[in-house]
Amino acid sequence: MSAQVHQTSSLKEYFAALASGVFTSLKGMWITFRYVWAVKPVSIEYPEVREVLPDRARMRLFNDVQNCISCTQCAMACPVDCIYIASEKFPEGTEIKKTSNGQPIRLHLTQFTIDTALCCYCGLCTTVCPTECLTHSHDFEFSAYTIDQMKYDYLAPDIIAWRDRIVKS
Amino acid sequence: MHKQLSDLINRNVTGANAVAFLAADKKNDSSITVEASHIFKVVNFLKNNSENSWNSLHCISGVDYMDHMEVCYMLTNYDPNNNKGVLILKAKLTDRVNPNIDSIVNLFLAANFQEREVYDMFGIKFNNHPDLRRILCPDDWEGWPLRKDYVAQKYYQGIEVYPDNKMNMEDREYIVRQEMIKKAQAAKAQ
Amino acid sequence: MQTRWDIGEPEKPTINQDTEQLKSELLVLNMGPQHPATHGVLRIEIWTDSEIVAHAIPHVGYLHRCMEKHAENIDFRGIIPFVDRLDYLAAMNMEWTYAAALEKMLGTEVPRRAELLRILTCELQRIASHLMAFGTYALDLGAFTPFLYAFDYREKILRLFEEVSGARLLYNYIWIGGLWNDWTNEQLERVSAFCDDMEEEAKKYHELVSMNKIFIERTANVGVMNIDDCLTYGASGPVLRGAGMKWDLRKNEPYSLYSEFDFDIPVGEAEHGVVGDCWNRYMVRMKEVVQSIRIIRQVIEKLEPGPIMGKVPKVLKLPEGEIYVRHECPRGELAFHLVTKQDEKMPYRLKVKSPCFTHVSMLPHVAPGQMIADFVATVGSIDIVLGEVDR
Repeated sequence: MSAQVHQTSSLKEYFAALASGVFTSLKGMWITFRYVWAVKPVSIEYPEVREVLPDRARMRLFNDVQNCISCTQCAMACPVDCIYIASEKFPEGTEIKKTSNGQPIRLHLTQFTIDTALCCYCGLCTTVCPTECLTHSHDFEFSAYTIDQMKYDYLAPDIIAWRDRIVKS
Repeated sequence: MHKQLSDLINRNVTGANAVAFLAADKKNDSSITVEASHIFKVVNFLKNNSENSWNSLHCISGVDYMDHMEVCYMLTNYDPNNNKGVLILKAKLTDRVNPNIDSIVNLFLAANFQEREVYDMFGIKFNNHPDLRRILCPDDWEGWPLRKDYVAQKYYQGIEVYPDNKMNMEDREYIVRQEMIKKAQAAKAQ
Repeated sequence: MQTRWDIGEPEKPTINQDTEQLKSELLVLNMGPQHPATHGVLRIEIWTDSEIVAHAIPHVGYLHRCMEKHAENIDFRGIIPFVDRLDYLAAMNMEWTYAAALEKMLGTEVPRRAELLRILTCELQRIASHLMAFGTYALDLGAFTPFLYAFDYREKILRLFEEVSGARLLYNYIWIGGLWNDWTNEQLERVSAFCDDMEEEAKKYHELVSMNKIFIERTANVGVMNIDDCLTYGASGPVLRGAGMKWDLRKNEPYSLYSEFDFDIPVGEAEHGVVGDCWNRYMVRMKEVVQSIRIIRQVIEKLEPGPIMGKVPKVLKLPEGEIYVRHECPRGELAFHLVTKQDEKMPYRLKVKSPCFTHVSMLPHVAPGQMIADFVATVGSIDIVLGEVDR
């Protein structure tokens, strides 16, 4: 088979193509040259300058365990099964506390672990949470050195300490 | 449309036994089921006849019902003046050990990749296919993944397919483990 | 893992008559899974005779994530994040096709405002996807500047999407029965301003890239896929329209509210090169951006306040049935074949017909006889995204 090369052209066509190539490239270069002085640069100098994320941005999950009623709706809604919840009944006669929006907490939450490495940040768990304790924060810089560090135990004190920064009320 | 088309097929292709399934309402799609052994003749007729022709193959999809498998051929007609929608043509295969059906690559070249995918996922062999090998799974994968009775192999070329550290079994079985720990502590206390 | 050998080596054609007595062999070159110009992990085994390609055999499956098997174990709402990840550069269109398939099977009525906003969002996504195709195509051919310009404008769309849905690329926004969040009037005004800017930009791209003689020389008459080839290979979308057929599902089989809008279908008209070559496919995409802007302006005029979510039961259980729904996505016709059993929360079988899968199968037909540089131009012009090819 023969290669699909262009047919050889006459001398006039050769110079016409050459002139057209130069002319159209110069026209393109005029467009890019304008960017030297006429256009404001769009790059921002991260990490010194950071953008403010919109309110609905779905970044790292945060669960406010004080308000969790262990309904396990989030674990059932999750498409990748990355939320692991375990709870048990309170011993008899314990005072029943209430969440911030009035619902009684009848179960004692003993395990709330999210495997952030599996999480696909779809937001389905936050929409079904009845007390809105599970929310998306705006943290996106949370890479870890080992994959085990990506399992977040929300009952641990260091994660509970994020509450002041994230929960607004 | 499906009833007339199945009658047309039955008149022109002997032995095709085209049966039209008409959907009750717009929520489902109607389809035509033909004999698997006559699929090449039926598709040839549908492509080349002058009354009701379909000039392109949209997709070939396999479905595994537990007792039989079906290969669904979706045909369309790309003609701006005559839009007929999509025709679903089904062929039933009852042999689960060694299912095979004729390939329609000589009619529509689109069938090349589509039939390779059905072979890869279900194990259905297509006779006279020029290059029938796995397309999405690795070439030496064992098993037919989309069959309902598929169990994945444990090791692939020495790599564990479901490694323990990624399965998160300790997290899933937290309650069971806590109860076992309590029972062990209670047994020790006695 | 190479099993080409069990079906025999391909026939070696006598390409180079002059040097045949030198007993030259074909060189096997892997345009391998890691390559800046294959738009993902696509491996193309190219057999070349010096610079001319003799055979090109695509190997796909490097991004296979078993989405169809996963879909059999996840309930219907949870499949939407999986469907996003099929063609990740045009995720809204993927979600809409899936939601449309389910809504047709359930018989739910989607409120008018939700349908109009879905059209707005998907046309904006079409512009973003074509900008990406334009930028990376120019980058494949060696031009770095149009890539940055395209991404500047694509960034404006992605920021709008982040404000509305919460994510920049994988949205989970178009839900079964309607939408998740609503657009505010301020955001719609920004969309109008963006449309005005984008029309100016499209003219600029025309001068910068489309009419550049070097670009025309590299893409015109290259990788010709004429209408007969397209029909037998099942091509659709810009590939089929670049070959000259005036077929667009939004006009020929209107779904949703597209019949109310006034827009044209661009077809490859061979202002340069022949119909069906890379330049015409590229021009079809550029002209589609302008048509999408027309549709968006009409949607903004027609919008009225109202609900954005229809009546869908909390626990979705579908009746038994089978459905096949296809939509016009930026890369071609995407279709879902959904089979359900009575009162189950999960699909029995979800098959995705991806347009890029059929377009990749056209490469072995077009490649023989091209130079390697022309082959790179062809692969870029069919605009493949491996997430869709491999699922």
